[in-house]
Amino acid sequence: MTAPTHDHTQPQPLADASMLEDKVPESLKLSRVVAGLTALLSVLFFAVSTFWRLWHTDLWGHLAYGRIIAGAKSIPATEPLMPLCVGVPFIDTAWLTQVTSYAMFERYGFTSLGFLYAASVTAMSALLVYRGYQRSQSVGLTLCGWLLWMWGCWTQLSIVRPQLAGMLCFATLLVLVTSRHPRLWHWFAVPLLFVVWANCHGSFLVGLVLLATLAVGRAVDLAVRCGEFRAIRRDSQVRRFVLLLELAAAAVLINPYGLRLYAEVLTIANHPNMAELGEWQPLSLRMPQGQAVAAIGLLLVVLYRLSPRRVTAAEVMLLFGFGSAALWSSRMIVWWVPLATYFAMLHASAVWHAWVSPLEQRDPSSSRGLWTVVTLGAAFVGFGLTPFGGRFLHGNEGSWKLQTLVSRQTPLAIVKQLNEMYEQKKLPRGLMFNTYEWGDYLLWAGSPELQQKVFVASHVHLVPREVWQDYIAISNVSSGWEDLLDRYGINLIVLDESTHDILIRRLRENENWRANYSDNVGAVFVRRKPI
Amino acid sequence: MKRRVSTSIFLLLQLPVIAALAWSLAVLSPEDQRQVKQLVTRKPAAADVRIERNEALVIAPLYDDPQLVSDEELAAVLKRLAPRFSTKKMRPNQIEHALRTWHVGATFQEPGALSGVQMRDFLINYGEFVKSWEPTTEPLLQDRPNDGVFIRWGREEASASVHHDHLLACLTEAGVPRSEPVFTPGRRDLTFGAILNEALRDFRFDEREVEWSVMAFGLWLAPTKSWRLADGREMSFDLLAERLMRGHCKVGTCGGTHRLYSLMVLLRLDESHGPILSPNVRQAAFDHLAAVRDILTNGQFDDGHWPYNWPIGKEAVDKPDASIPLFRHVIATGHHLEWLAIAPETLHPPRDQIRQAAAWVIQKTLERTDTEIISDYTFYSHVANAMCLWRKTTPAKFWMEWETTHPFVPPAAH
Repeated sequence: MTAPTHDHTQPQPLADASMLEDKVPESLKLSRVVAGLTALLSVLFFAVSTFWRLWHTDLWGHLAYGRIIAGAKSIPATEPLMPLCVGVPFIDTAWLTQVTSYAMFERYGFTSLGFLYAASVTAMSALLVYRGYQRSQSVGLTLCGWLLWMWGCWTQLSIVRPQLAGMLCFATLLVLVTSRHPRLWHWFAVPLLFVVWANCHGSFLVGLVLLATLAVGRAVDLAVRCGEFRAIRRDSQVRRFVLLLELAAAAVLINPYGLRLYAEVLTIANHPNMAELGEWQPLSLRMPQGQAVAAIGLLLVVLYRLSPRRVTAAEVMLLFGFGSAALWSSRMIVWWVPLATYFAMLHASAVWHAWVSPLEQRDPSSSRGLWTVVTLGAAFVGFGLTPFGGRFLHGNEGSWKLQTLVSRQTPLAIVKQLNEMYEQKKLPRGLMFNTYEWGDYLLWAGSPELQQKVFVASHVHLVPREVWQDYIAISNVSSGWEDLLDRYGINLIVLDESTHDILIRRLRENENWRANYSDNVGAVFVRRKPI
Repeated sequence: MKRRVSTSIFLLLQLPVIAALAWSLAVLSPEDQRQVKQLVTRKPAAADVRIERNEALVIAPLYDDPQLVSDEELAAVLKRLAPRFSTKKMRPNQIEHALRTWHVGATFQEPGALSGVQMRDFLINYGEFVKSWEPTTEPLLQDRPNDGVFIRWGREEASASVHHDHLLACLTEAGVPRSEPVFTPGRRDLTFGAILNEALRDFRFDEREVEWSVMAFGLWLAPTKSWRLADGREMSFDLLAERLMRGHCKVGTCGGTHRLYSLMVLLRLDESHGPILSPNVRQAAFDHLAAVRDILTNGQFDDGHWPYNWPIGKEAVDKPDASIPLFRHVIATGHHLEWLAIAPETLHPPRDQIRQAAAWVIQKTLERTDTEIISDYTFYSHVANAMCLWRKTTPAKFWMEWETTHPFVPPAAH
């Protein structure tokens, strides 16, 4: 057989690439916009995972609870960590998050914490961007809405804790209930979401409030429009929201505590110890998140003034209801901001398309297999470059160290020092007075004996009222603070510089105490004559 | 999906929701039901504990040591401590101490001395309280929900009890049964048990003074080891014993000595009606008291008294603190003698040291004038009680017997 011959002297015409057939199934083809937004979210995922430091408070306490639950394969009935809370009933509203985080930590090491953190923030962003773009058909408006959300929730997003799972559930619910075309699977998805939510975080109540408000809001709209009760009774949307609310409320009961969980969540929210924490206090303009809320609120006023879109009773009730809650307690801001930004995107889109650029039909041909590949590639690169990606793909952390991924206020060196004291049997007997924000890390990383000395940690609703008041009094160097240390038999004090600088100064001047260790983060004091 | 939710589907879906709610209610544990009910009704729950007995347990004295205090010395001390209070504006704190010392059955030939019944009635009968004070005075006994009676306490007002659950503990030690009627301003159908119920309900583990609560709970609840507080917290005598040992020894009323007495009561109850303590806590309590024993052994003045700043041990003797008034040393010495009287000998300093301390405190008591004794009655009452314990008797029993052979002679007859 003779091989075909080619004439290499003549230039060959290029193959016509347009003749190549895009064999990606239509359902998997993505648009350039999706690829672009995915790339952006991948950058966000990479940035959060790599550069946002793990906050030094709640995270470690939740991991410690997860460790206990995983070890015992059951949830303790009474508070298992803080020695001053022995016997206090322990209703763990976040057990699933704690166990999951701990299991990830056990399996993949400390980089998995950054992954969980970044995954939560990115998933929330993706849901908001998805719904925002679907409704506005504008990348610019969608990104503006997303940036507003980031700004409003920034403070809360910086703390890694089960609340992030609650926020993600809330965003998911928002996407489901704002769908233009309710699907059959929503009937299963919403209850299932609440089962997960109720076991991950106590904030499931805000989800129920959201559903209830949507039902009532729709009923009010109908009452105003039709003026008769029958219209409300027979309205499909009202029935849908009422049924979803009922199913969700019933789904919540699938948790280790059943109906008691409702009682516990309501009790925690009203616990007097909480009122003394900054994030539970009323929102004010002095707070960065208060300034963000004010700006978003003003923007909403302008948009509602200009928008040709009809305003529903539900959105008014949601904005005012959740807004009032945020004013009452700044921690509630995380539920108001997604709603506010969502409605802002809706009305901004209406304004934009009414006044500037009429809404155009999307060109179906803009979805191509190429963008699917780009989307997948962007997602993979965003994942692969992260510390966890390296751990997952290569089996080790590489050059990543714990200290590069945790906040600078994390008492790494102090706990190392205390653990050395434990090994040298130099830990004084009795309790240790500690900054409550560090209690969690001490419970997580401290030696077993050190853990038995922790005064308080961030689960302050479990701390007996008198103990918490004494903690505040000592922290504020109130009169009688030394007597209080005597009363608890404190021989060891661990304090952070940022919130306890006055007490540190007083202890340095006090002849009964000796500075054992100090760095730019905090200090350790030991009583000269132990009680 | 059909966009319309039909009425039949709507109604049909109510079934699983109602079933889920019913199921969740049915499977609630009693404690969960209690907490849910409390949240719904907004009424405080009672402590979850069953009290079987009508009369409290008694810690019997262990020693009869006439060398420590003779009959004559004891009679002299008790004579000084007869409850000669003016019936106008009687201070509940003083009456509580007097009743705890003399018990309900006490009677005196001396006309001016209050009987045990009179003292008891002043404390738990609002009508008697008003006779001593004014109708406008805030009542000592206050009604609370769920058949509870709260004792008004605090240092601000003379008409109030001073320490939380002090009245309960004193009446318990004085032998008042749970069925004893209690008359509040609003109700006449309650008993002393209502005071105990309220004490169990409003007890806070981390409140400043738990000494009297712990002692009363021990005398009423043993051999029950653990129970649940109104807020759901699991409580046990182990925890209470650890609470009594928490912190610096000086912490607590009367220089920290009441904590020692209550801890010793728990150990005795553990021995006689227990076990109410786990082995580890029992050992820790014993070790704690043994450490105090060593402090007392090394920290006694030559004249026999233990100083008010006794926790610093020998240093208190080597560098006496002249700023501490004498009555405080009486407090420390009298109270130490009291808990040592119910302690096993292994927890005692050498008996000679105890006798020396007793001699000192008897002398100081007899040196006081009647006015001084009445003024500082609360401190000296512990001396009288301690001396009787060391003679294996009670003040009432001893004194009433004494008066049969040494009848009261009115001052005018001298």
